[in-house]
Amino acid sequence: MVECDFPECTTFGAVIRFALELEKGAAGVYDELSVEPKAASAAETFKALSAAHKKRGELLEFTRREKLNEMILEPISELKRENYIIDTRTPKGVDAKAAAKFASKIEEISANFYADSARIAKNLMAEAARTMDKLGKENLTNKAKLEAL
Amino acid sequence: MTEVKKDHGKLQNYVNGEWIDSTSDKVIDIENPSTGGIIGKLPMSTADETKAAIEAAHEAWWAWRETPPITRARVMFKLKELMERNFEDVARIMVQEQGKTIDEARGETRRTIENVEVAAGIPSLMMGYNLEDGAAEGIDEDAIISPLGVFGCICPFNFPAMIPFWFWPYAVATGNTYIVKPSSQVPLTMNYLAKLIEQAGFPPGVLNVVNGSHEVSDTMMEHPKVKGISFVGSSPVAKYIYKHSAEYGKRVQAQGGAKNSLVVMPDANLDRTVANMLASYYGCAGQRCLAGSNMVAVGNIADTLLKKWVEGTKKIKMGYGLDESVNMGPVISAKAKKKVIEYIDGAEQAGAKVLVDGRNAKVPGYEKGHFVGPTVIDQVTPDMKIAKEEVFGPVVSYMRMESMDEALEFIHKSPFGNAASVYTQSGKTAREFRYRCQCGNIGINVGIVAAMAYFPFAGYKDSFFGDLHGQGQDAIKFFTDRKVVITRWF
Repeated sequence: MVECDFPECTTFGAVIRFALELEKGAAGVYDELSVEPKAASAAETFKALSAAHKKRGELLEFTRREKLNEMILEPISELKRENYIIDTRTPKGVDAKAAAKFASKIEEISANFYADSARIAKNLMAEAARTMDKLGKENLTNKAKLEAL
Repeated sequence: MTEVKKDHGKLQNYVNGEWIDSTSDKVIDIENPSTGGIIGKLPMSTADETKAAIEAAHEAWWAWRETPPITRARVMFKLKELMERNFEDVARIMVQEQGKTIDEARGETRRTIENVEVAAGIPSLMMGYNLEDGAAEGIDEDAIISPLGVFGCICPFNFPAMIPFWFWPYAVATGNTYIVKPSSQVPLTMNYLAKLIEQAGFPPGVLNVVNGSHEVSDTMMEHPKVKGISFVGSSPVAKYIYKHSAEYGKRVQAQGGAKNSLVVMPDANLDRTVANMLASYYGCAGQRCLAGSNMVAVGNIADTLLKKWVEGTKKIKMGYGLDESVNMGPVISAKAKKKVIEYIDGAEQAGAKVLVDGRNAKVPGYEKGHFVGPTVIDQVTPDMKIAKEEVFGPVVSYMRMESMDEALEFIHKSPFGNAASVYTQSGKTAREFRYRCQCGNIGINVGIVAAMAYFPFAGYKDSFFGDLHGQGQDAIKFFTDRKVVITRWF
């Protein structure tokens, strides 16, 4: 299980923190799945996805630092925390197909989070919105990759 | 909610490249305004200690002035790198001592770094100009931009990092040396940044930090080796600094207070307008010099706007700014809180109606914090004290007017001229507003008109005393003079 602490998404910083928790959770889950003996055939895919999610975390850190501007620190009220919490209780003893199905759900929820964040951020922070949009599309690509396993 | 340190101990002065204990027996507590806890001690440095810093800066000046601008710029680049590496710590210390939210602190840290970035462009920014045969045939004329010596700044509590950086990077990059006196209420961030400045490799004496209060300020203003003073604070003090420093032959740029009105026209996009204005009125708990204070609803939108505004206000979450879900922190001190509450009481007694009342705001777990909740006061009229004076808290004075002409007339009656904004979808209205409005910072559908580092932070009337502002080209001019050379070869 990967410990995550998802905040209420009421500020730009909290949205990014939430996203960082998503990335940490996803990377951690992939790390754990990559060492599951019965899912060994997908280990390389899981390792690659873990690395990709860690890199996305770095991109989000950069966004948090670079895109903040006090002219756009408007409160956010449309993102409901409970809609985007991912399950990070990695199942044990699962085969590649079951592991991929579990991970696929994480990618799907993350894709929804980024799509909704991008839509909301579009009016407030266009540059951050582009990042969110990109990350959400990557989640959908990852999901397709997992479903093909 | 990780704090960089619970207790920052007793601060030292940074003078001539060394960290020195003050000999003063006067020491004050540094308070965390969110918790009421004591997070450090600040010595009230003496006049002699300040003079020693001025002498050190003066000693360091000529060698630094002879250092090529490109070399000075390289040290700025190094400082930028160190600030990026320690970005989060700078922001977190700021939240701890000032009370703003972590997002606001990150935004301020970014703006602080931007001033270093702009100052790093100094080889291009301080180029002079010349004209062949400018004086007569065979006689050329040059204007060289030269630094002047030692400068100093006296800083306020609302932006512990950004405001010192409106000034000193430009002063030092242009070849001057400098003394920063941080606000006695929020000295920790600047003292932390001074450690990064030390690591960046500025020679000893080029940048000095002297902690304290009036004694330090007066010594800087009166010392013959100090060439100029930069100040940000209230208007009465800005006026005093301007007069007193000028008496001693100094250049002065003194930013004063504000009473900013945001004017909402009938054609404004109300949803976007309300969201944007929330950050203006309640951001930094209303303690920005660019914070909205009066809200002027023009024409028939007044009731609709007010309804949306009250709804938006009620969603503001208060708390300790290190909690990322918090939208607004406390005001700076118990004294500040009392003052804000007195303004609200006064408005009520004068006949205004308090629709959202932040006077008794409580934040569970932070009972000793200086929290004033976001407050909306309706039926404020132009003659009321709350419509005229700087409140410096999260309080909205809601006013109704018939036209933009009436709104502008009201704005122009104020002794302040810091900022004003208009919300409209009409280019013509926006153009007229920015053309006619006698304030230094004008927003068109923008509620916090915070100039970027490469533009001056402007201000008219009692909001600014002086002629050259902080940041950008104004700062370069303030910290340099034009030396004219006429050359003829026989």
